[in-house]
Amino acid sequence: MIIKLALRNILRNRRRSAITLTVIVFGAVGLILFGGYKARTFYGLRESTINGRIGHMQIFKEGYSKSQSQKPLDRALDDAAAIRKEIERDPRVKMTAAQITLMGLISNGDKSETFIATAVEPPKERAMNSQRLTAGKELADNEADAVLIGKGLAESMHVKPGDYLTLMTTTTAGSLNAMDVRVAGIFMTGVKEFDERAVKMPIAGAQQLLQTTKIEKLLVFLKNTDDTAAVHRLITSRVHGIEIKEWSELAPFYHQVVALYNGIFGFLGIVVFAIVVFSVANTILMSVFERTREIGTLMAMGTTRGRLRAMFVAEGVGIGIIGGLLGLTIGVLLAMLINRGNVMLPPPPGYTVGYRLQIMMQPPVLITAFLVSFITATISSIVPALKASRLKIVDALGHI
Amino acid sequence: MTSKHVIAVTGVNKTYPLGRIRVRALSDVDLTIGRGELIALAGPSGSGKTTLLNLIGCIDKPDDGRIVVDDVDVTRVPLHRLSTLRRDTLGFIFQTFNLIPVLTAYENVEYPLLLQNLPRRERETRVRHWLREVGLEQQAKQRPDQLSGGQRQRVAIARAMVTEPKLVLADEPTANLDSETAARILDLLGEINTRTRCTFVFSTHDPSLIARAERVVRIRDGRIEQDTAVERLSA
Repeated sequence: MIIKLALRNILRNRRRSAITLTVIVFGAVGLILFGGYKARTFYGLRESTINGRIGHMQIFKEGYSKSQSQKPLDRALDDAAAIRKEIERDPRVKMTAAQITLMGLISNGDKSETFIATAVEPPKERAMNSQRLTAGKELADNEADAVLIGKGLAESMHVKPGDYLTLMTTTTAGSLNAMDVRVAGIFMTGVKEFDERAVKMPIAGAQQLLQTTKIEKLLVFLKNTDDTAAVHRLITSRVHGIEIKEWSELAPFYHQVVALYNGIFGFLGIVVFAIVVFSVANTILMSVFERTREIGTLMAMGTTRGRLRAMFVAEGVGIGIIGGLLGLTIGVLLAMLINRGNVMLPPPPGYTVGYRLQIMMQPPVLITAFLVSFITATISSIVPALKASRLKIVDALGHI
Repeated sequence: MTSKHVIAVTGVNKTYPLGRIRVRALSDVDLTIGRGELIALAGPSGSGKTTLLNLIGCIDKPDDGRIVVDDVDVTRVPLHRLSTLRRDTLGFIFQTFNLIPVLTAYENVEYPLLLQNLPRRERETRVRHWLREVGLEQQAKQRPDQLSGGQRQRVAIARAMVTEPKLVLADEPTANLDSETAARILDLLGEINTRTRCTFVFSTHDPSLIARAERVVRIRDGRIEQDTAVERLSA
């Protein structure tokens, strides 16, 4: 009877219930769209960071992170080939890629700029697909003196593919060395500051410039990001004398974005919560006011305070369930529409490339949206329920 | 051991706040009501009859004095703890019918039985019986707004009677009805009283209703002015 009464009372003043449901639906849809956008952004950022730049894990020589040496490759991996072979035995591992990072001066004869180079294995780098070429070609497999340079750096150096530049840096022994390189291509990552300093070159070229045969680190790429911790444990047990860093340690930007978005999402949640609470509480309070005499009658007939409270809370629960389900349905339909709509967003701060708006419909986001609607509607019915149950019967019966 | 009285009111006073002053609604009222009686509380508006009915019905508290309803001293118990007594012992009929608008006639009559947690079959038997008694079997599925005033009051009577209470309290039960409908309702109440020997106490200033009572308690200015047993007119 409590459920029947609650449902019928919700339908009793249809226009008011419709307004309340609209508020709840707006809240739920907002949570679904923003939550889905956030989930997609986190996923996209994580996977692009991992697959385009840092890998799921990076393997260094033991003590690398504590090393204070100023010399390049002072803590280089000794037997990279053996370590690589051991790691690639695991079927969860997609590939490993050797890398060296180095810094120095780049010159076109008239002008010099500082550069930050990442020395890569060209075939592996192509598989990572981390940058977009705006001119020229990718690094060839066996051309040690070819480089790719960032778009901003190319503009600063006034070069185009086929032109030559000079790289100068300190060798592993501490002396200065220079090397002429041919610009094979120009790329952009979308991060302006990075593109103004970035150089990519083959490992062989970097080793030649640094006068070494060693590598700095191995990037490990997995088929599934969720396997990171398990593969980490396995490598630790199999390979000794190394230091492993997982992607989450190497991606502070990712965590900053997550923290920022979570802050915004939390704030949005509080706003939605407050709006729904006030709206539903207002509806039910109005209902209590309008039904004061009815409440008096119910109490005169022997309805207990607890049962009366349950009746009004049931109305809040009913509004929450109906609103939550409607919000879920409309939110999912809107998300599908947006995903099909190919809506492009402008570049975020620090980026030069916009991206496609996508809403990821993850179960936790949908469940959260429904639960927030349901719980807030239920909570907001508590005060009106208490108010109703505390009415004096004789006053309630005399209410006009 | 049970008393022969279903109601015993002793030395009851009741005042109400009205702005800064308190208005005396009842003064030193003593009244006993026996089982099966059909009593009219008569008096002009503001005389205190509704207040007395509210006190007997355990929906209001006296300032002092003692009220015993079915051997329970209700003045010693907070009102919200008297819901079981109201549910099982009392039945209410209101001037404005006070049906639950979202429930059908059947569901309105069934509601008190749900409070008593009676099994479905038992509820159905009783509800059907009382709807038949008040002549509304055909209107069982109609909601209050689909019924006439007289029909609504019949539903209210069925709802009051369905729990087989010892005492039915009716506050001006015919005040909102035309004279013909009111007469039919009075006939119905009289029949039920005769058949069930349930105690009926109603407040009224309607002479035709007063004329049907076995006993008339006249109240004026919060005091019992006259308490007369009368020969009941034909029901």
